[in-house]
Amino acid sequence: MPETTSLFDTLNELLPEILKATGETLLMMAICLSAAIVISGALGLLVFLTSRGQSLERFRAFNLVANGVINVVRSFPFIILLVAISPFTRVIAGTSIGPLAASVPLSIAAIFYFARLIEQTLRDVPRGVIEAAEAMGASPLQIVRHVLLVEARSGLVLAVTVLAVSFLSYSAVAGVVGGGGIGDLAIRYGYYRFQTDVMLITIVLLVVLVQSIQFLGQWAARHVDKR
Amino acid sequence: MSQTASLPPSPAPAIELRGVSRRFADPGGRLVGVLPTSLRIATGEIHGIIGFSGAGKSTLLRIVNLLERPDAGEVIVHGQDLTRLSAAGLRQARHRIGMIFQHFNLLHNQTVADNVALPMRIAGENPARIRERVKACLDFVGLAEKADTYPGRLSGGQKQRVAIARALAPEPHVLLADEPTSALDPRTTLDLLGVLADANRKFGVSILLVSHEMEVIRRLCHRVSVMEGGRIVEQLDIADGRIPEGSRLASWLSDFGAGPAASPSPAGRPDADTRHHFALEAAHA
Repeated sequence: MPETTSLFDTLNELLPEILKATGETLLMMAICLSAAIVISGALGLLVFLTSRGQSLERFRAFNLVANGVINVVRSFPFIILLVAISPFTRVIAGTSIGPLAASVPLSIAAIFYFARLIEQTLRDVPRGVIEAAEAMGASPLQIVRHVLLVEARSGLVLAVTVLAVSFLSYSAVAGVVGGGGIGDLAIRYGYYRFQTDVMLITIVLLVVLVQSIQFLGQWAARHVDKR
Repeated sequence: MSQTASLPPSPAPAIELRGVSRRFADPGGRLVGVLPTSLRIATGEIHGIIGFSGAGKSTLLRIVNLLERPDAGEVIVHGQDLTRLSAAGLRQARHRIGMIFQHFNLLHNQTVADNVALPMRIAGENPARIRERVKACLDFVGLAEKADTYPGRLSGGQKQRVAIARALAPEPHVLLADEPTSALDPRTTLDLLGVLADANRKFGVSILLVSHEMEVIRRLCHRVSVMEGGRIVEQLDIADGRIPEGSRLASWLSDFGAGPAASPSPAGRPDADTRHHFALEAAHA
C-alpha cells in the first residue's frame, strides 16, 4: 500500500539500498577523481607547457595532437562513450558491469575533462612570473614546481571541485551498466517506478553532497590563496 | 654580503653585445626589434637605455639573458658567449644574471622570504646558505620585518624592493632592469634608484637599465645609450646628471619642452626637477 507509506517509512525501508548506493557512488568518484588528478595533472601541464610562448613550445606537435584528442573524447556524450569503450572496459576491469566497470569510462571522461580544466587554469598564471623564473635559470620542471603549481593552486583546487560535482552527476549514468550509485537509485525507483518519495530522498542526498563538495572546495581554495 | 667582491678594476666588460639583431612583426604587422647592434658595458657600470616605446630597448635588454634569442650576433656576459651554450649551460649562466621588471613579477602565493629564496632554490643552493642570503638581502633593501608577509600586502615600491632583493640573492654579476620604476610614483622612484645605486656601489654589480624616464637615467646611470628605430643612435657619459649640450638627447629634451636639458640634478633634493620626469613619455603620448 504505497500511498499510505510515509516518507520516513520509505527511508527506513530503503536505507540499506541508499547506503549501498552511496558507497558505490563514493567508490566510482574516488577512482575517477584519482585517475583524473594523476593522469590529467601531467597531461594538462604538458599541454600548457607546449602551447605557444611557453617553455616547451618546441614540442608544439604534441600540443596539437593532445588538444585534438582531448576535444574528440570530450565530444562524446557520456552514455555513448560508456557503450563505445565497453570492450576496453572488459579488458581493464575484467567485466563490463558493476561500479568498477563503470569507473573505467568515468575515469576516461574525467581525465580529458580535467586536462582541459587544468590547462585553462594554468593560463591564468601571469606570463611575467613564468618569465621571471626563466630568467633565473629555471628548468621547465622547476617552473612547474616553483611557479605554476604555486601560483595556480587555488584555481586548481576549484578545478577539482568542479570536476567532483560534474562527475557526481555523470556517475548516475553508470546505472546503465549496473554501476549503481545514488543517481541510479533515483532513476530506478524514482523515475521508472514513479516513487516520488525515493526520488526526493536521493535528490536531497545529492544536493547535500554537491553543497558539501562545493563548500569544502571553496574553503580550501580560499585557504591556499594568498594573492 | 661579506663575500661579495668589491669592484675589480678589470677592463673586461660585464656585458658585450656584438652585432646582435632581432626582428619580429608587431601586432600591426610592422617589423620591429633590434637592428644589428653592439654594446659594451664595463664591470661596475650602470648603463641606461632610453628611447620611445617601439625603439627596441626592451628587446635589446632581453637579449642579454637570452629571454629573446637574437637572430644573429654574440651575447657575452661575464666572459661567456651565451648564444653558444646548451640549454643547461644557459640556465647555469642565468643563475648569475639578475633581472627586475616593471610589474615586479613576484609569486603572490609565497612569502617575501620565499620569493627572495626562489632563485637560489632554483640554483640548488643549500638551505643554510639560502637563509643567510635571504636575510642579508632583505636587510639590504630595508624589508627584514616583512619576511613573512605576502606580496599582496605590500606597496608597489616595497614589491620592487623585494624583487631587487630576489635578484641580488644569488650574487649576480649583472642586473638587468626593465622599466623598474615605470609603475611607481616619482618619490618611490627616487627611493628605488637609491637602492639600485647602493647595490652597485656595495656589491659592484653592473646594471643595465631600460627606461623612458629621463630623470631615472640622469640620476642613476654612468652612461646612456639612446635608441631609435631598433638601433643605438647615441652614447653619452652622464657625469653629475648632466646631459652634454649639443647631444641628440639634449635636443630631444628641449624639443619636448622639458626645459634646459643640461640642468644639473641636485643630489639630496628628491622633489627637484620632477617636471622632467615624464618628459619623454608625455611627448610620446
